[in-house]
Amino acid sequence: MKGAGELMSSDANASSLFDGQLAGAALRGCLDGGCIEKLLLHCATALEANDATLVQQVMWVLNNIASPNGDPNQRLTAWLLRALVARAARLCPTLTAAGGPAASCARRMSVTDLVGYLDLTPWHRFGFTASNGAILKAVQGKKQSVVHVLDFGVYHCTQWPTLIDALAKRPEGPPPLLRVTVPSARPPVTPYLNLSTEEIGLRLANFAKSRSVPFEFNVVEYSHSDGGGFPEQLASCLSALELREDEAVVVNCQSWMRYLPEEGSCLTKDTFLELIHRVNPCVVTVSDEDADLDSPRLSSRIMACFNYLWIPFDALETFLPKESEQRMEYEGDIGEKIERIVSFHGAEVVESGERFSGRMARAGFAGVVFEEEVVAEVKAVLEEHASGWGMKREEDMLVLTWKGHNSVFTSSWAPTGFSHRNQIST
Amino acid sequence: MMEYENSSVMTVSNSGSGEASVSSSGQLPPAAPPSLGPLQPIPVVKKKRNLPGTPDPEAEVIALSPKTLMATNRFVCEICNKGFQRDQNLQLHRRGHNLPWKLRQRTGKEVRKRVYVCPEPTCVHHDPSRALGDLTGIKKHFCRKHGEKKWKCDKCSKKYAVQSDWKAHSKVCGTREYRCDCGTLFSRRDSFITHRAFCDALAEESAKAGTTPPTANLKPASEDDGKAEAASEKATEAEEATATVETAPAVAVDAPLPLPKVAPPLERQEPEKSAGLLPYVRQSPVALANTSSAAVAASTTTSSSSNSNNISMFASIFASVSATTAAHSSTTFSDLMGAMGHPDRSLAEPLSLCLAPNGGPPSSLFSPPQNQSHDWRPFSAPPPPPSPHMSATALLQKAAQMGAAATGSSFLKGFGLDGPGDSSLRWGHHRQQQQHLEPEPSPMLPSGLGLGLPYEQDLMMGSSALFGTKPATLDFLGLGMGPVGGTPNGGLSALMTSIGSSSLDIGTGPATTGGWEGTERKSTSSANL
Repeated sequence: MKGAGELMSSDANASSLFDGQLAGAALRGCLDGGCIEKLLLHCATALEANDATLVQQVMWVLNNIASPNGDPNQRLTAWLLRALVARAARLCPTLTAAGGPAASCARRMSVTDLVGYLDLTPWHRFGFTASNGAILKAVQGKKQSVVHVLDFGVYHCTQWPTLIDALAKRPEGPPPLLRVTVPSARPPVTPYLNLSTEEIGLRLANFAKSRSVPFEFNVVEYSHSDGGGFPEQLASCLSALELREDEAVVVNCQSWMRYLPEEGSCLTKDTFLELIHRVNPCVVTVSDEDADLDSPRLSSRIMACFNYLWIPFDALETFLPKESEQRMEYEGDIGEKIERIVSFHGAEVVESGERFSGRMARAGFAGVVFEEEVVAEVKAVLEEHASGWGMKREEDMLVLTWKGHNSVFTSSWAPTGFSHRNQIST
Repeated sequence: MMEYENSSVMTVSNSGSGEASVSSSGQLPPAAPPSLGPLQPIPVVKKKRNLPGTPDPEAEVIALSPKTLMATNRFVCEICNKGFQRDQNLQLHRRGHNLPWKLRQRTGKEVRKRVYVCPEPTCVHHDPSRALGDLTGIKKHFCRKHGEKKWKCDKCSKKYAVQSDWKAHSKVCGTREYRCDCGTLFSRRDSFITHRAFCDALAEESAKAGTTPPTANLKPASEDDGKAEAASEKATEAEEATATVETAPAVAVDAPLPLPKVAPPLERQEPEKSAGLLPYVRQSPVALANTSSAAVAASTTTSSSSNSNNISMFASIFASVSATTAAHSSTTFSDLMGAMGHPDRSLAEPLSLCLAPNGGPPSSLFSPPQNQSHDWRPFSAPPPPPSPHMSATALLQKAAQMGAAATGSSFLKGFGLDGPGDSSLRWGHHRQQQQHLEPEPSPMLPSGLGLGLPYEQDLMMGSSALFGTKPATLDFLGLGMGPVGGTPNGGLSALMTSIGSSSLDIGTGPATTGGWEGTERKSTSSANL
């Protein structure tokens, strides 16, 4: 089978290669991933070329393969196709009034369900554990300082109980105060919670109290007059941020950076980092998906989706039964994500992941190596999960792998010139 | 975690390479050894990255039969062809051959990277782009996924196909169990802690009880954690001390004061933003004491904070969910606060938009069933697969026919684009309910044009000719862009109508140029693709 690379080289040839063989094979029930990949590529290039006929035909074929109840490839294809249809439908301006799925009411989880989901695979806990480890190391020397965590993430503070617990267990005891600040601005992405952030904070505070860790929780609201989308709201939140003297500031970005635009708004990835730098944090932890899902070309984005998102679909297949409703919901969440990506480039919420190394360096940060202890802890987390999950080190980052394929990376940074002598225990 | 040290080497990097921190996927060059100091300037080097999920395109893809796969050893002696599971064992063995010095060194030549596909054709890893980079990994995968599960855990019912998996599990099973007060069991401490911190059931109970929250018992059931005990003892003391503080101001609080919002208004006392987006808001310590420190005070020193009404209110709110403080505050800013204010009502009720007890939330995937905003559901009724004997040409011909059909074409139905009546939200559940595509007659072409044959020039020519002469295809999605595209009215029904009333101006472009090539069009609509 020819690789996708060949097909991508020339658009004109792509459609001509959509021959009966593919269609027939697909209809026969041949679920070869390479087959599906080619079909998706055909569909994408047809969309790019405004070839309505071809789009229709490929979609019809894809629809025969796609199945939300099938094997992982079929499921992924189903969601991809759905996003493609949504996109194609939007090209007809009169349909936009009907409202796309992006505007729908997404399901809301209970926090217990969310926490359960986080434990299903190490996808998130990988970043949590590594980041918390880096944070602990960074604040270790500063016994007298208030630790102030600026929490930028979409997982509703689920990272913090373990940090609170670790701080409580420190030989030197907890810090005089642990503050967690959360901006009320959040990208419109799953998971959605059926509790307010304030309630989450209350429960965290309760928990901290039970562990005797002095704790304070703040939600920074954005000014509604500023309006705008997520970047504008976040900018407004940041301007209202309250920092105090002599705090050890920790910035935690978990699945966050990718939602900030590259350019064209008041708050881009670079300006965000600039602001963060000005705060002079003692550590900045960044965890995100290890995938480039943001290319100006639709076909590239679709291929990237197919070649990356098979990982969560495959993982879910391994850990949840075929009929699981929960699984359908998680896959639906991924489907929403696919829809965002397939949508027009530069639409309301961007999804551009990258390792940010160059960007961090330009913003004045240098990578901080994860201590062996932390690495061991992360390994232990992986061990506790079923096999298939692995880890590797690349540069100063840790990368979570599923069957050898990169899924998530986690990294830790400090402003260049920042002295670590006080932080790291000798 | 020390007890797992021996098995950890094997199980951690579970692509099966046996190397703890290096994966063999071959996507990027091997990691440099960890740098020595914390301040390593990162060179801004643009690394060439493969598409995520695809192994090294230079890699050699190897497909082995199941038997060969299971029999193949990763490390093979080049002299006598004996196979070994581990490199060390191979090296030990090679010494036994008494090789001259030169040959004793391992060959330094670069061996082409190999990736392996799963022999099982229906497996996702049968596809070369999903190949696994490690022989041991693919062996284990094949065993686990497609093999018989011969190993069964004694304590629980779990079965495993690979012995090392079974061993690893047996070590953990039942050894440590953490139990949340709500009854859920955890084998991992971090899961337990995270769950417990947010536990819905606990929060509910505290709200009902209206007393101090249960002391945190973070010891695993079978372990003794002195620190946790001490911590829970301290917590108990702190709570007893605060109990009086909390209940006292409870009645005094009637003015709703949204607690988290106190901080922001104070923060906003710094109006000038010209200095930049992030001024350090330096507030006097006095001011601080009125806001957030109150919470602090509540959890540790209680006496000093009990003086001012303001502070103690914060204290009580922050300190304990169970506090009846919020009980009488008529909330202005969220139903949530109101919910908390009624201890006799479970927290679960008002909070639920789609709250469900552990188990399947009833909510639909993307929108509530009443919402008809998703009139089109492409997957609700896929056409049944046509007869396998239908040739490729026929298939595509059919596709074209369906695309050109009038209103209510089966193609549209196949996509579930039936109009507003279609409200299937749960795909797969509704497949049987929708109308099905009537099976079209399947022309039987000579067997030579059957499926599975390599690409044939005639086939292509035939198809092109077919499309070249067909009437203007009506793009069902209204993809005909530009001034002629679109429908006069909004909504999906209008679209259906437009298709029915053969609006031939739509989509003529691609059709008349043969349909196969992407049309080069100066699109005035400049649809941003």
